[in-house]
Amino acid sequence: MADPTTSEFVTLVSCDGFEFIIPRSAACISGTIRRMLDPASKFSEALSGRCVLENLTGIVLEKVCEYFMYNEKHKDQANVPDMEIPAELCLELLMAADYLDT
Amino acid sequence: MAAMRARHKIRAPRRVATAPTEDFDTLWGVLSSSLIEIHTKNASTLSFEELYRNAYRMVLMMRGDDLYERVKSLEENWLRDHVRKQVTESILPILVRAQNPQSITDVQDQSNERRAAGERFLAVLKEAWSDHLLCMGMITDVMMYMVRNSRGGVASNASNSLLQDRIISADRTKPSILVVSMILFRNHVLRAPVRPDSDITVAHVFESTVLFMIQLERAGHIIDRPLIRNCMYMLEGLYETVAEEESSNLYLTTFEPAFLSTSRDFYKEEGARLLEVGDAATFCRIASQRIAEESERCRCTLVTATEPKIGEVLNNELIRKNIEEVVRLEGTGVRHMLDQNQLDGLRIVYTLNARVDEKKSALTGEVSKRIVELGSEINVSSIAPPQAPSATEKDPGGDKKEKAKEKEKAVNPQTASAIKWVDDILALKRQFDQIWEKCFQSDQNLHKSIEDSFEDFINRNTRSSEYLSLFFDENLKKGIKGKTEDEVDALLDNGITLLRYIKDKDLFETYYKKHLARRLLMKRSASMDAERQMISKMKMEVGNQFTQRIEAMFKDMTVSEDLSVNYKEHIARSADPDQKRIDLDIHILTSTMWPMDAMVKARDGQVQLPCIFPREVDNLRQSFEKFYLDKHSGRKLSWQASMGSADIRATFQRSNGKTQRFELNVSTYMMVILLLFNDVPDGESLTFEEIKERTCIPEYDLVRNLQSLAVAPKTRVLKKEPMSKDVKPTDRFFFNNDFQSPFVKVRIGVVAGGANKVENQDQRKETEKKMNDERGGSIEAAIVRIMKQRKKLGHTGLMNEVLTQLSSRFVPDVNMVKKRIESLIDREYLERLEDEPATYGYIA
Repeated sequence: MADPTTSEFVTLVSCDGFEFIIPRSAACISGTIRRMLDPASKFSEALSGRCVLENLTGIVLEKVCEYFMYNEKHKDQANVPDMEIPAELCLELLMAADYLDT
Repeated sequence: MAAMRARHKIRAPRRVATAPTEDFDTLWGVLSSSLIEIHTKNASTLSFEELYRNAYRMVLMMRGDDLYERVKSLEENWLRDHVRKQVTESILPILVRAQNPQSITDVQDQSNERRAAGERFLAVLKEAWSDHLLCMGMITDVMMYMVRNSRGGVASNASNSLLQDRIISADRTKPSILVVSMILFRNHVLRAPVRPDSDITVAHVFESTVLFMIQLERAGHIIDRPLIRNCMYMLEGLYETVAEEESSNLYLTTFEPAFLSTSRDFYKEEGARLLEVGDAATFCRIASQRIAEESERCRCTLVTATEPKIGEVLNNELIRKNIEEVVRLEGTGVRHMLDQNQLDGLRIVYTLNARVDEKKSALTGEVSKRIVELGSEINVSSIAPPQAPSATEKDPGGDKKEKAKEKEKAVNPQTASAIKWVDDILALKRQFDQIWEKCFQSDQNLHKSIEDSFEDFINRNTRSSEYLSLFFDENLKKGIKGKTEDEVDALLDNGITLLRYIKDKDLFETYYKKHLARRLLMKRSASMDAERQMISKMKMEVGNQFTQRIEAMFKDMTVSEDLSVNYKEHIARSADPDQKRIDLDIHILTSTMWPMDAMVKARDGQVQLPCIFPREVDNLRQSFEKFYLDKHSGRKLSWQASMGSADIRATFQRSNGKTQRFELNVSTYMMVILLLFNDVPDGESLTFEEIKERTCIPEYDLVRNLQSLAVAPKTRVLKKEPMSKDVKPTDRFFFNNDFQSPFVKVRIGVVAGGANKVENQDQRKETEKKMNDERGGSIEAAIVRIMKQRKKLGHTGLMNEVLTQLSSRFVPDVNMVKKRIESLIDREYLERLEDEPATYGYIA
């Protein structure tokens, strides 16, 4: 990971300190994260490749990352199996999705 | 199930770190200072997430509209206070002065200074723009939640901006923050006055500066293209209206028209200047260079979309207005290029002309003019000096009499000039074909005009049909010897090409038949294959009807061969074996198919007595006649001695007592003459009159044959007294026992007769008369055919139909058609309809 602005992986950090390292392409499914990491804008997140998401707890962020990977894996495919979403998390996930523009 | 549901209670979303202190103004304070940081390029110290979260919260507080307004005014202030200052400061006085039209002259001297200043200004402006663009990109990113969550939902406009633009508020008229920022830039930077008290705006200075740069480039300087290009991007990114329609972007509304109008002026001037120089080649070279330059300029410096428009300006100003003059330029124009075979020049002229005119009329006109000129020169040079230049005679019908005085001319130069005429035309045709192919991209219009021009001048020469036929005659007799099949093929094709141009194909047919008859009967044709090839080519070109009679001539020849063989067998069976036989090769010709009148010279209306054959030959003639009429009763044979030839063995008594034998190949008439001398004792003579009386050979032919026998130096079988070139009625002829020849077989040609040379004036008139008779017949036939079918037809309609029907063979003279109609009315084939004027009816 020589240059964080271009490296293949990025780090997402939850408000309670959990870190998730996922491929940049997967993370950029989120519009918010994509803009955050846009090298042209030179925000600190773009420079460091590390996004601290103060709005999300570790539990939610985990599910979000799971979704990112799920989406990455199944993109351009038809008839993919549904992702399992625990009912108790669904409201929080909805808000996260809204926030992240996913 | 109920229990299950209870267990999986949905967790309410937790408020994460909701600091009670967070009210709108505090958040905005943090945000606004961050936005300024972004503008001052300190974004790396900021956390996107934090800014985003702040905006997010504000929107969640339902204060999105306030946020929008605040961002907007922040931007406005920033642009007005910082960016505008920066930009206007970069505008040096010289650039402002250049705005003033009066000062342009003195600005000329300072072009370097102005240029440097201009570049600096453009650089600053470009910098300001790209910063603005970048910052606005970032700010819009940060404000994305605001943008996205506006109640207005998704707006449909401009998808090409950095973001998906969305409308912020409930009323959809509110443009996205990015669009607003663009408008702000336009108003507060571009449209700001340069100096507080002046009405010249930054945009004005910008425009004039860029135009100035372009002018410099046109004058051959090197300018900073990428810089200008970037500025153009700026203009393209800005719009007159909020809706950002493509058509309203500032480039199209302001800069492009200005650019086009300066270009128009520039090229108007350039065109005039180039014309003054007066060199077509230079004009064309520079013009095409300019075209290339401008399109490159559009691609590299300005906007590609302008390319067709500037092209149109060039077409209008530089080419359309000038091309005609350029084409006609004395000494350097198209004519000069054609003469000098300047292919490159012609190619450029063609390309230029093609740009402005689908039909390329300027070029076409000049090319065809030149062709006709050259063609007429060929026509004139092909005609011997005493004759009037045929160019004055345009009537292809040929019923105009040639006014020039006829003069007996040497035969060979005439024929040679006919052949030269054809060769010259072919050369000319080749030249233009080549030019057409290489320079005019095989353009159809031009092809047609070239063809037309050829047709035009070829038909101006009333003798073209005859000349062409002579050309074939010459080539089929001698020309194709020692040539490969392909060469022969090409040669004939060339001739056929010319035939295509000739309108009076019937005239050509007549001549061709005449010449062909000579070739066939005199066995002068070099190759029968070539003859047949020629006919099949003509058939393809002109049609079946045209070659019918010519083919019939060939058929007669083959039939005659069989007949000769049969006759020989017949003689061998029946005749007295002791009798010294004479071999007979007979050609039976169907008189309607062959140009009999060309062979039988019924001169001056005097009835020609048949030639009196010597006894031996006459016996043979009678025997054959009997043989033939036994086979085909009811036919009449008339003997054409003028067309025949004979092999005779002559014995010469040398003065030293020895004898020498020669085999002489002579014409039938010569044979008849020579046989007379069998009965004349040595040393005795015959006068011209005596010979004439005893042979009944027409005087004209007799003179020619005697000339061959007694005057031509190599074949002097007879001696003439007095020794002179001409044969006079009083001349006396002796058998020349001292005849010498290095060969045993001697061919004595008749002094070239009528068929192989250009006709003299009388013959020509005769041919024309005959032609006219024949045409009269064809015209009548056509009229009757048409009327029979239509029963009733107006005059013009009939006229047109007749002309179309006959055009494949010749171009009928309108007067002649009228006369024919009259005569048909007289003979009650047609009638004038009483109730309808100018309408004819058919009388069955």
